[in-house]
Amino acid sequence: MDSLHAIGFYVSSGVSLAGAMGVALLPGRGLRGASMAVVGVGLAGIYLSLSAGFVAAVALVCYAGCAFLVASPLYRPLEGVVGPMWRQVGAIGAAALLAILAYSAFRGDFVHAGFYGGAFGVANLGRLFFAHDALSTEALAVLVLVAFAGATAVWRVRERTR
Amino acid sequence: MTINLVAVFFVAAALIAAGAFAAAWRRDLTAAVAGVPLMFAGAGVAFAGVARFAAAGGPQLFGQEFAVVLAIAATALLAMGLGIAGREGPR
Repeated sequence: MDSLHAIGFYVSSGVSLAGAMGVALLPGRGLRGASMAVVGVGLAGIYLSLSAGFVAAVALVCYAGCAFLVASPLYRPLEGVVGPMWRQVGAIGAAALLAILAYSAFRGDFVHAGFYGGAFGVANLGRLFFAHDALSTEALAVLVLVAFAGATAVWRVRERTR
Repeated sequence: MTINLVAVFFVAAALIAAGAFAAAWRRDLTAAVAGVPLMFAGAGVAFAGVARFAAAGGPQLFGQEFAVVLAIAATALLAMGLGIAGREGPR
């Protein structure tokens, strides 16, 4: 793992975390969608620096789709019924979660192993997806089909009742 | 300057916490749903980091495989969540 990979990892991590805070804090769906796209770019950089090129390509496409969905003006805003106190409790809970996960990460450097997967690893991943774990791949395909078909059905019902 | 498993876990923890913060803090439910892909991204980074640095036995790229699954599932769940949340909105 050379310095170039390390610099890429840390820069991509900063980009991804900045995008994540933008998704959490920025007003307007357009800005939030752009922040989600920034998260996708940073995530792809992280995966690339971890020698996971195929995962980087998939993450880039998927988070571009997420950015499009978040920025889409077709979805109406829906105000939640949770009061400001509970939102603050949730934010404090997220901070506590960060503290717990950071502590466990700090204690997690207990195992090391060599890596022989290659920089892109698409052949090995293909063997995993379509031979070793074919059932999980099919389950994921069913999930995606159900999710998009459900979203389309919900959309059509809403347009019909408008 | 090097990357190790602890640094990967720190980034993953920060992404998961940012997603949880977004889901808890946003008043608009369709904006809060956008925290789910962030949490999935953090989990995917952790899995890919384990596959890169610490996968000793079994299929070595299992972590990368699960990161792919998480990225695709995040998109599907966001589409479904936005569809359901937007449907229940005031007209």
